[in-house]
Amino acid sequence: MSEYNLCGVLVHAQQNNRLDVQQHLQQQQGTEVHAVTEEGRLVVTMEDKSRKQLADRIMKLNQIEGVLSASMIFQYSDDELSEQETPITNLSEERMSA
Amino acid sequence: MNQQKMTRRDFVKTNAIAATATAAGITIPGIKETLAASTDKIRWDKAPCRFCGTGCSVLVGTQNGKIVATQGDPDAPVNRGLNCIKGYFLSKILYGQDRLTKPLLRKTNGKYDKNGEFTEVSWDEAFDVMAEKWKAALKKDMEANKGKPADQLTSTVGMFGSGQWTVFEGYAASKLYKAGFRSNHIDPNARHCMASAVGAFIRGFGSDEPMGCYDDMEHADAFVLWGSNMAEMHPILWTRITDTRLTKPGCEVHVLSTFEHRSFDLADNGMVFTPQTDLAILNYIANYIIQNKAYNKDFLDKHVNFTETVTDIGYGLRPEHELEKKAKNAGKGKLSKISFEEYAKSVEPYTLDYAHELSGVPREQLERLAKLYADPNKKIMSLWTMGFNQHTRGVWVNGLMYNVHLLTGKISQPGNGPFSLTGQPSACGTAREVGTFAHRLPADYVVKKKAHRDLAEKIWQLPEGTIPGKVGYHAVLQNRMLKDGKLNAYWVMCNNNMQAAPNMNEEGLPGYRNPANFIVVSDPYPTVTAMAADLILPTAMWTEKEGAYGNAERRTQFWRQQVNAPGEARSDLWQLMEFSKRFKMEEVWPEELLAEAPEYKGKTLFNVLYENGFVNQYKKQTVTDDRGNTYANSEMDAFGFYVQKGLFEEYRRFQFEGPKRGHELADFDTYHKTRGLRWPVIDGKETLWRYAEGYDPFVAKGEGFKFYGKADGRANIIAAPYEPPAESPDAEYDLWLSTGRVLEHWHSGSMTRRVPELYRAFPDAVIFMHPEDAKKRGLRRGMAAKVVSRRGEIEAMVETRGRNRPPEGLVFVPWFDAGRLINKVTLDATDPLSKETDYKKCAVKIVRV
Repeated sequence: MSEYNLCGVLVHAQQNNRLDVQQHLQQQQGTEVHAVTEEGRLVVTMEDKSRKQLADRIMKLNQIEGVLSASMIFQYSDDELSEQETPITNLSEERMSA
Repeated sequence: MNQQKMTRRDFVKTNAIAATATAAGITIPGIKETLAASTDKIRWDKAPCRFCGTGCSVLVGTQNGKIVATQGDPDAPVNRGLNCIKGYFLSKILYGQDRLTKPLLRKTNGKYDKNGEFTEVSWDEAFDVMAEKWKAALKKDMEANKGKPADQLTSTVGMFGSGQWTVFEGYAASKLYKAGFRSNHIDPNARHCMASAVGAFIRGFGSDEPMGCYDDMEHADAFVLWGSNMAEMHPILWTRITDTRLTKPGCEVHVLSTFEHRSFDLADNGMVFTPQTDLAILNYIANYIIQNKAYNKDFLDKHVNFTETVTDIGYGLRPEHELEKKAKNAGKGKLSKISFEEYAKSVEPYTLDYAHELSGVPREQLERLAKLYADPNKKIMSLWTMGFNQHTRGVWVNGLMYNVHLLTGKISQPGNGPFSLTGQPSACGTAREVGTFAHRLPADYVVKKKAHRDLAEKIWQLPEGTIPGKVGYHAVLQNRMLKDGKLNAYWVMCNNNMQAAPNMNEEGLPGYRNPANFIVVSDPYPTVTAMAADLILPTAMWTEKEGAYGNAERRTQFWRQQVNAPGEARSDLWQLMEFSKRFKMEEVWPEELLAEAPEYKGKTLFNVLYENGFVNQYKKQTVTDDRGNTYANSEMDAFGFYVQKGLFEEYRRFQFEGPKRGHELADFDTYHKTRGLRWPVIDGKETLWRYAEGYDPFVAKGEGFKFYGKADGRANIIAAPYEPPAESPDAEYDLWLSTGRVLEHWHSGSMTRRVPELYRAFPDAVIFMHPEDAKKRGLRRGMAAKVVSRRGEIEAMVETRGRNRPPEGLVFVPWFDAGRLINKVTLDATDPLSKETDYKKCAVKIVRV
C-alpha cells in the first residue's frame, strides 16, 4: 500500500537570505513555497510518499544556509489517499500484479 | 484552486497552507473560501501534546475513527500554532505495528509461570491471577501489621506510576493504594526528573511549582540556562526566547552546561563547567551580589528568612555503601535560622578565583554572569531542567538558584523569575499536584502529618487511621526492595522504568525477576520494562481516552476522547477501577478498621473508593463540543457514570477544604471550554505570578509580596556549600559520563522509537566525545567503542562532530536506545533529600572494541 504524507512548515529565514532560502526550497521535489514575508517567514508545504524521506527532509531544513528555524505546523498522513488518486493505468497494473 | 475539482489531496494541502499561513501571521487570499466550500471534512479538536512538559496544544484531526492529521493550535497561548518535530508526529504514535491489544501472561502448560512464555489471556484471567497475588501479599501485610498504629504500617504491594498519567488516573491510583491497599509504596517516574525541584520549592517557599509563567519569556531582558538544552528539549519555548532575544534591544542569553549543545548557538555567553561545580558558581554569584551591595535590602527585610542546611549528607546509596558510612549526616535536610551576616560569611569563600578554579569557566565569563544578576535594571529569567534536578545535590542547587533571585528580589514579577522546566506532560498536573509520590497526598499535603491524613480520610469517607503515616518506598528504593524481596506485588503503569532507572544490572532486573515477586506492566507497547514483567496489560493512550494534563507553568488542560483504543486495550483509569472490583473490603482492611466503618462490610474496594456517592454522582452524559460534535467516553460507558468528572471534583475538595491555599482549580466543565488555566484559579480567574500583589489573589493590598506557603509569609534563602560528586574520574575510569535526551526522541523512546521517521533521524545511541579524547584512545568518528563503568558496559558508535560537543574529559550518551541501555553503566547515586538519581555524573572509560 502506498502512502501520502504532507506537512505544512513555517520556516524562519534571515531577512537578507529569505529569497535564497525560497529558491533553495523550490528546487526540492515535493516542496512548495506559498508565501514569503518581508521579515523572512516562509509558508512551505512538503509532500512525499515515503514517511522516512519526508522526515529526513524536514530534519535537514535547519541545516539550510540562512534558515533560523523550522516549525511544524500541520501534518497529514494517510494510507488510502494515494490509491484513490492513482492514475487508472497504474491501478490496472497493480491489479494485474495482485 | 478550482473548487469544483478539488480532490482530497488538494483539500488536505489547502488545510496545511491555511494553518501554516496563520502561524506565520499572514492571510493567503481565497484559502478560507476554498476550505469552507469543501464537503470533505476532518473533525478538529484540541488536546495537549502527549510528549514533553511544555504543554503545547495541538488540534487533532479525526476522520473515519482514525487520527489522520495534527496541527499546532493557533488559539493556544503556549505554542501559538507552532509545533516541534515531536508533536508533528503525534498522530502516528497510536498506530505502531507492535501495539499491544491483548493482556499477555507468562505461562507454561497453560498456567502462570514466572519463567514461562508470554501468552495471550483474557482480561478476566489477567485480573484473576493478578488479584490472587495481591491478596496473598495483603494477607501477609495484615498479619504483620496487627495492632500497629497508622504511622507504623508496612506493605508489600506497590506501584510505579507516571507524570504521563492523566490527572484522573493519578488520583484514582493514589486513592487505590493509599486508601484501598493502605500502602504508600506508590511513586511516579517524575521522581527521576522533578523530585529535586519539588524538594527545593517546599523548602524555599512551602508550596510546589514555579511562581512565574511562560509570559516571562516576553517580559525578561535576559535568560540564563542552567543545565538545560532548551533548543532541543523545549523547542517551542526556545522559539519564544529566540524571538525575544532577536527583537528586544540589549537582550542577552547565557547558557551553562557540562558540554556544548545546540542552545549555545544563541548564547551571548556560553559556559562549559566541570560537573557539580554549578554549586560553586551560584555561591560565587551570591557572594558577588553581597560584596557589591547589589542585594535588595527592603525585599530581604520584609520577605526573606536566612537559613543553612546540614552538610556532608551522603549520596543516597544503599546504607552499607562506603560513601554512606563515611557521611556525617547521611540523608539529613534540617534547616537552621542564621543571620544575613552569617549567610554572607558562608558564601565569602566563593570568590571569582575559586569559582573559576573549580568550574574551569574563564573569569571574565563568570563575572559577566554575576554582573547580569546584580544589575538592578535587568529582568532575568533563569531556566533549568535535569542538569539541576538529576544531581546528588539537586535540592541544594535548586535552592542556590532561588537564593540569587531572592537576594535581588527578582522573583514573582513579569520577566523576573527562576523557572523550573518539566520533562513530562503531567509531571506537574498529576505526579506533583495530585501527589502520587510515596510521601504525598493531593494538593501538597503529606502522609507524615496526621492532620493531613485526617483531611484525606474525611474527603475520602474513610475511618480515622486508614491511610498509613509512614513514607513509602521511593522509585530507586522500590527497585532495591524488589530485589530484596520486600516488595512483592508490583504494578508499573505508563512508564518505562526498567530502561529509565539507574543501575539496571544490579538493581532493576534482579528485582523484577525475583521469584518472590509478581510484576505487572501496563503499556501500549512491548517496552523493555514490559518484557521484564510477568503480566503485560494493553493500554489505551493519549486521545483514546478523555484526559487532563498540567504543564510546567501551572496550566491545567483537558481533552476529549477522539478515537477508540485498538483491540482490547483499555485506559489506565479503567484498569485501576476495574481491578478494584476484585477486592472485598475484608480482604484489604483488618477487622478493627472495618469495625469503624461497618457500612463497608461486604462491599468492594470499587464501592468504597469510586462508587462512594460523591464520585459517581455525575451521571452518564453525551460529551459534546461547542461545534456540535459528539465524542465517546469509554470509561463512562464501562462504569455508568462520568468517571473523570467525579474524580476531578472530588480531587478539587482537597484544594478548598483543607488549611492550604493557593492550589485551587476551576470546575471540571470550565477546562473543556478553555485552552487551559494557570492555578490558583479563583472566581474563574487564573494567576500568572504567584506571591505578588496585584497578580495573586492571596496577597492583600499593601503586602507587596507574600510567600504564603510558609507560616510567616517569608521565603527561605538556604546556605549550602559545594560538595564533591559521588564518583569522579580517576586513573582507570578517566572520563565523566553524562546522559540525556536528543530532540527527536522523547525520554525512553517507547513511543517515538516506533515512529519510523524519528527512528531514522537518530537511529542508534552514540557516544558524543571530544576528537582529542577519541584520538588518544585510537578511535575515530563512526568506530564502535565500549563505555565501561564499575557496574556495566555498553557498545555504541563514536561521534566527534554534530550537535553535542563535549569538552575533553567528558562523554555524553543519550538514553533512549533500548538496544544500548546506558543505565547498565550509570550509578544509582541519588540526592539524599529528594531521592532523585544523578544521571549526569559518573566515571567511565572508553575502550576500542
